[in-house]
Amino acid sequence: MQKESKQTPLYAWHVAQGANMVNFGEYEMPLWYRSGAKNEHLAVLTKAGLFDTSHMAVVMVEGPDAFKLIQFCFTRDLNACVGRNRTHIVSGKCVYGVFLNQRGELIDDALVYLLENNLFMIVVNADMGGEIAQQLKDHAEEKDVVKITDLTDKVGKIDLQGPLAGVILKEVIKNAETVLEDMHYFSFKGHFDKNSSIADTVRFTDNTPALLSRTGYTGEFGFEIFVEPDRLVRIWNMVLEAGRNFGLIPCGLAARDSLRAGAALPLSRVDTGPWPFLNHPWMFVLPYNEGMTGFTKHFIGDEALMRIDNAEYTCAFAGFDLRKVNHDTAVVLDQKGNAIGKVLTCVTDMGIGRYNNRIYSISSPDKPEDFEPRGLACGFIKVKTELISGQIVELKDGKRKIEVMIVDDIRPDRTARRPIKKMMRMPGQDNDRSLKGSKSFIPNHTFRDGKIYNT
Amino acid sequence: MKDVSLLNIPDDFRYAEDHEWAGLEGDNVVIGINDYAQDQLGDIVFVELPKIGSSFNKGDEFGTVESVKAVSELYMPVGGEIIEVNSALEGTPELVNKDPYKEGWMIKVKPHDTAEFNLLMTKDAYLEILKG
Repeated sequence: MQKESKQTPLYAWHVAQGANMVNFGEYEMPLWYRSGAKNEHLAVLTKAGLFDTSHMAVVMVEGPDAFKLIQFCFTRDLNACVGRNRTHIVSGKCVYGVFLNQRGELIDDALVYLLENNLFMIVVNADMGGEIAQQLKDHAEEKDVVKITDLTDKVGKIDLQGPLAGVILKEVIKNAETVLEDMHYFSFKGHFDKNSSIADTVRFTDNTPALLSRTGYTGEFGFEIFVEPDRLVRIWNMVLEAGRNFGLIPCGLAARDSLRAGAALPLSRVDTGPWPFLNHPWMFVLPYNEGMTGFTKHFIGDEALMRIDNAEYTCAFAGFDLRKVNHDTAVVLDQKGNAIGKVLTCVTDMGIGRYNNRIYSISSPDKPEDFEPRGLACGFIKVKTELISGQIVELKDGKRKIEVMIVDDIRPDRTARRPIKKMMRMPGQDNDRSLKGSKSFIPNHTFRDGKIYNT
Repeated sequence: MKDVSLLNIPDDFRYAEDHEWAGLEGDNVVIGINDYAQDQLGDIVFVELPKIGSSFNKGDEFGTVESVKAVSELYMPVGGEIIEVNSALEGTPELVNKDPYKEGWMIKVKPHDTAEFNLLMTKDAYLEILKG
């Protein structure tokens, strides 16, 4: 029996816009809007897209023992997780990791934010707030001073993603230059709760407080924005309106899926799931010591992970054209035709293509002049035998067979990690001016056919 | 998603349960997928069509249509020999979205048995199925 589906505060907006709606994680969500998923995917690569992600759940963990509890339940070592030098988490930073059970199998993936001393915010997937809150409660000791609050459906969230996300945001938040200038990848500012002492850090021009996070699920530059649910529709409309002249369009789950797959990001409980969390492209979320002989901390699932030596292998792949297979019915065949595994995700990244044995993106600065992306199938497979980058396997779904190559990465020239200073200039504006010195760069451009013309 | 009342389901075609349409052109039958199918599938990015001269029975898979969402099989609403395919779909598969009944047609068939065409659903019968 299907549970009754839930709606985000933007449901009526999506329906009024003629979105194709789909049930995802118990929520009725837009799959694409009228211009189609391909157009939405390309908008995020070249301009910007806006996603309703209010189906995701927020759990707050507060108190003197919050750090200790998360350190035990979550895989990242909070004492060694920030930046290249692996320093300890500080307020204003967030980290990506996973929650495992005692068998070393995934419960869900999450971003953990340190809001202020002794106050963490955990963002998990749709319908997972209750389970993660329970997991934390189950592992808190009686003497622990910690308060766990499941804020499922009590926080609104939208993701503004794409190379123009910064210049659009600048139009709608107060003191934008000050707010944005030091927003590094995986940093955040502000709070959606107006009673918080940090709520004044980020406010929209209508005074709505927000938690602004330099993160996302597309592989492209952008922000995840958290606000109170009753402010969500208003902020969504304000951002869309401000972005209209920059080519910003609303985007649905189909584009979100193809963008994240092209960025080699896993979908929790599809590409990772109830099997040993080993031998996959996201091993950085496990707190291995330098020699990979053990972990730098004790956490749920650690003993199982050290013990298990027969885990299957999860690998990213890219095809040779846009043809894909239905992941739920396809099998993976090796070069001799032996079935070696299953397909976890198979989608088409419509912004990329192969040219002289190399993958280029529509936004690759060095793309050949006559390059037109036709799209490439890509995703993840889980197989019994180890495969290395460059190996070819076949994905077979009924009569359809496609050859794909095992790869370390898929869509090149992604913008997610680019320094924010570079992203606050309009494309083509090459002189290295600081943010503060570039107040008037936005107007005087119009957009046609995806290109920017000086007027 | 289009409401059933907004779908373009022309009177002069017949329809199969798998959402193909079939139209008579002299003694031949032209086949494609209907407005409901293209709306459900979303952006169509690839269409795989059979070779001219090949023969299929009613209900056989004759090709695939691939959208951003899924790969779907295409089934013959009537049995027959393929006498023409819409080669424009090779380079511009989006024609199926833009104009499913004209520019987005898929195959032309010389039917084995013209009675099979008459067994397909009329517009009204097909709409009843969509309304469930």
